[in-house]
Amino acid sequence: MKTKKMTGWNLLVLLMLILYSIFSLSPILLAILNSGKTQGEILTNILSFPQNFKFDNYLIAFEKINFLRSFLNTMVVVIVGCTGIVLLSAIAGYKLARVKSKLSGFYYSLFVLSMLIPFHSIMITLVKIANVTDLQGKTLGLGIIYIGLGVPMAIFLYTGFIKSIPPELDEAARIDGCGDLRLFFKIIFPQLKPITATIIITNALWMWNDFLLPLLILPNSKTYTILLSTNMLFGQYGNNDWPAILSVLIMAMLPAIVFYLILQKNILKGISEGALKQ
Amino acid sequence: MKKNNKKLTLFILPALLFYSVFTLAPAIGGFWYSLTNWNGLNKNYDFIGLKNYAAILKDTDFINSITFTLKFVLIMVVLQNIISLALAIAIESRNRSKTLFRTLVFMPNMISMIIGGFMWMFIFTKALPYIAQQLNNAALMDISWIGDPFFSFIAIIIVSLWGGIGYLTIIYLAALQGVDRTLKEAASIDGANAWQVFRNVVIPSIMPAITIGVFVTLNNSFKVFDVVYSLTGGGPGRSTQVIAMNIFAEAYSLNNRYGYASAKSMVLFAIIFVITIVQLKLMRKKEIDG
Repeated sequence: MKTKKMTGWNLLVLLMLILYSIFSLSPILLAILNSGKTQGEILTNILSFPQNFKFDNYLIAFEKINFLRSFLNTMVVVIVGCTGIVLLSAIAGYKLARVKSKLSGFYYSLFVLSMLIPFHSIMITLVKIANVTDLQGKTLGLGIIYIGLGVPMAIFLYTGFIKSIPPELDEAARIDGCGDLRLFFKIIFPQLKPITATIIITNALWMWNDFLLPLLILPNSKTYTILLSTNMLFGQYGNNDWPAILSVLIMAMLPAIVFYLILQKNILKGISEGALKQ
Repeated sequence: MKKNNKKLTLFILPALLFYSVFTLAPAIGGFWYSLTNWNGLNKNYDFIGLKNYAAILKDTDFINSITFTLKFVLIMVVLQNIISLALAIAIESRNRSKTLFRTLVFMPNMISMIIGGFMWMFIFTKALPYIAQQLNNAALMDISWIGDPFFSFIAIIIVSLWGGIGYLTIIYLAALQGVDRTLKEAASIDGANAWQVFRNVVIPSIMPAITIGVFVTLNNSFKVFDVVYSLTGGGPGRSTQVIAMNIFAEAYSLNNRYGYASAKSMVLFAIIFVITIVQLKLMRKKEIDG
């Protein structure tokens, strides 16, 4: 009796998971399905497979949003931002974790306290500063701005992580005559790999999917990121050319999905660790 | 000690520099401009004290956007956390299919909500009307998902849940894996049924994760922008205009009243700050009591 009830319950749980998975995937599947159709086919039959999948739609989309250029622009932003955030935060976190003084505590809270400030509260002045510093309109400039926005969280994570590394290691290296900066790069930094991976993954995802800041900093279509190009195309074709729009959407999300399928374990681990430390 | 402090300052200087220029200065600047009538077009502006804040009190559009956002936040906090927790428990109970379901549930989280919003736009304006037509269901056919204020709100909730649930599910899954098995078994042996074990053993042990889950949802939902931008643009009219969008429109698309928009952004900051601090205080206390 009891086992029978348990299997019934089990089936219910399974059913719920399957239904949710369908919900989760349906926009992506419908987009793929209809991206290979003609506009006429979409109007008459949304749910069926296309009669013959028109890959041409993708070629057209590829050119329409200048995919290669948009992709490279986005990569510049992500690489500049991540490199800066990792290097500056690791170096800062090292001393913040090791030096125990009032000043150290002050610096730490100065960084960490800002994490509650919403982006919209700094947005207007930030754009003005981007103008003054000549970063406005440049992908490199956007990457540099992301460094300033990203360091607090990364410093928070690095400081916590470095505190768990025994300081005896530093001492030993110091006796060997290692300077502070060399000691950091030779002894400490290699030990930070797990948290560095977490920081790179979460920050890369943030910058890759961020919309509002690029919208404000990069007004010229030559410097558009993938999201900005997609947004522009949607504005142009609106509700009229769904095959083109859906092909663009599939291409625009493909890099993130591939990244996810390859690095899934690291991504999920990074997310739960990053969140549970707060 | 002094030498240590000097070295400390040297090591944090690069990070501090970027942080000061791109986070700290804009934050202070935002507050300062909220006290001025700066309009972006004109180079000169005057200090006008709290006049912007006084104007906010009479700004019905902005107040409506606050009420709308509050409704959105409340529904999101409840639904997103309950559904995520339920999914996490369901996934945790699976053996072989655990990884598969985790992959599928989290997938939307990787996609920008701009792209997600556009894809859902296709569902709401094309796929659902088509299905309603096929079913010949008049009630379903009548629903205008993007054109009607009420259904636009529902649409925004659906898409936000779709994009946000995966993240919380991962957090709850991690927390559930940390629950002491022997504690659960001991409770079962003592005659507790599944619900009692869940209520008295599982919930108290994952309380810290629930605090984080609620915190994350509060924080993100108050700042919601991308979904609304891509799905309804704040419309029809201003019926789905959230706070962030109202600020954005004030500063960039409707007029360039930077000073006034800054004052609004300070109000947003104050709301988020007060509510999250209260939430953390209340729930941390519960963690200790429970």
